[in-house]
Amino acid sequence: MQEQQQYSFEVVKWFTYMAVVYFVIGTGVGVWIAAELAWPALNFDNPYISFGRLRPVHTNAVIFAFGGSTLMASAYYVVQRTSGVRLWSDKLAWFSFWGWNLVILGAVITLPLGLTQSKEYAELEWPLDILIAAVWLAYTFNFIMTLSIRKVSHIYVANWFFLSMMVMVTYLHVVNSLVIPVSLWKSYSIFSGVQDAMIQWWWGHNAVGFFLTAGFLGIMYYFVPKQANRPVYSYRLSVVHFWGLAFGYVWLGAHHLQYTALPDWTGSLGAAISLAMIIPSWGGAINGLFTLNGAWDKLRTDYTLRFLVVSLAFYAMSTFEGPVMSAKTVNALSHYTDWTIGHVHSGALGWVAMVSVGAIYHMVEKLWNTKVYSVNLINIHFWLATIGTVLYITSMWVSGIMQGLMWRAYDEYGNLTYTFVESLAEMFPYYAMRTVGGFIFFLGACLMLFNITVTIRKVETNPASDMSNVAVI
Amino acid sequence: MTKLQAYFQTDWQAMTATDWVGLIINVVIFIALLVLFYWVFNPKNKQKLEAHRHLPFRDEGKSSGKKHG
Repeated sequence: MQEQQQYSFEVVKWFTYMAVVYFVIGTGVGVWIAAELAWPALNFDNPYISFGRLRPVHTNAVIFAFGGSTLMASAYYVVQRTSGVRLWSDKLAWFSFWGWNLVILGAVITLPLGLTQSKEYAELEWPLDILIAAVWLAYTFNFIMTLSIRKVSHIYVANWFFLSMMVMVTYLHVVNSLVIPVSLWKSYSIFSGVQDAMIQWWWGHNAVGFFLTAGFLGIMYYFVPKQANRPVYSYRLSVVHFWGLAFGYVWLGAHHLQYTALPDWTGSLGAAISLAMIIPSWGGAINGLFTLNGAWDKLRTDYTLRFLVVSLAFYAMSTFEGPVMSAKTVNALSHYTDWTIGHVHSGALGWVAMVSVGAIYHMVEKLWNTKVYSVNLINIHFWLATIGTVLYITSMWVSGIMQGLMWRAYDEYGNLTYTFVESLAEMFPYYAMRTVGGFIFFLGACLMLFNITVTIRKVETNPASDMSNVAVI
Repeated sequence: MTKLQAYFQTDWQAMTATDWVGLIINVVIFIALLVLFYWVFNPKNKQKLEAHRHLPFRDEGKSSGKKHG
């Protein structure tokens, strides 16, 4: 490769910055709706800010706006650096940037208006679904074409994970979004009854499996070695991790529908494969953690690396917890309770957000060729994120297990011991605690936005600034 | 018929074309994964595969591409 090899990083910069903006908005809305659950008067009897309408705004903002922008930034960044070429098409890359942001704008307008398909993590109505498909295909095509012109013979494993995400999300999104439109903003799924439920959770769990896991594992396999300045512990383990995950994840969706009209064997199969998935998942987590072998001391000073390493600990924890919850005996207690919310957030806050934050801090320094404005603020962010996550998930664990036990408690005559409202009243302290945990996490996101904005402004106002520009506050 | 035999009993006549396609894909993928695991962990392939670990470090020192975005 020539020294003057240039990369196409402007679009990566924009995706990176918008990811941080959406991180603040998404977690902010999350804190607000958590507060609404603890103190329902906070919806002010206004339908546009009621929990039911803001909840999909929160999930779409954190998963697709923050997570999606992070994935697009990091995939475009990693594919260029590991292939030794710039992006195949800048125009397609910019189309994916503006198109993706248009989808997010559409979500922010339509969801509070109550325009929804009522499918979890796929709420957006059909015109926006078509736009998502077009943008996603542009992103995927650009990525594949960039790989096709690479200057190195091997395709690095991080790109395998990104590519599997792109292929599977295309397939999942298109099938799950098949509807019959009856007006511009109203449509009905072509599936019905239990088939609709099965398709929904085939999509729902694979949104977790491929969008929130495979894509972010792509991030992990590039950014952990780069930040630690050590090659990944075992490339062979990464190959096994990839194929185990790629073939295993698609079977899991049915574990969301235990004890429903879905055939019993389907749920059993979902649970069995879920338990089997612990092996590749932990293989990947161990691979990431062992990358630091002989360099654990870096964690004392490198706060970005702390985010990446702690994310792997949460990845290991949530990929153990999920399969356990899918087993029918545990599911009978956990399903429909806040335990599920705790599990989701140990993965979302602990794994996805932390690995994203680590990757973003890394990319900001490389993209703008500078040091982050304040390392101390990264450190404070790390502790706010960790404490907020732990407070959030422990409150939901306690709340969820208490709910499950109260709902199935019988007296000596076979009557339910508690009414639903009694169980709800018992939840209040935990809902308040969850709001506090979420707020602490949100504060960390605000610090990150401030830190990165100041970093970029310093570089933009003083283009001569370089790696020596390190501020300590 | 033992309990175990009863558990695994299958009405082959009732299998539809979709059932057969699913079954065959399943078995083929299972075998492919076994072959893959054998190939990956075969000591002969260790050096070849592990050489790729260093790929992210090949572009150290390259330009960030300023003004070319």
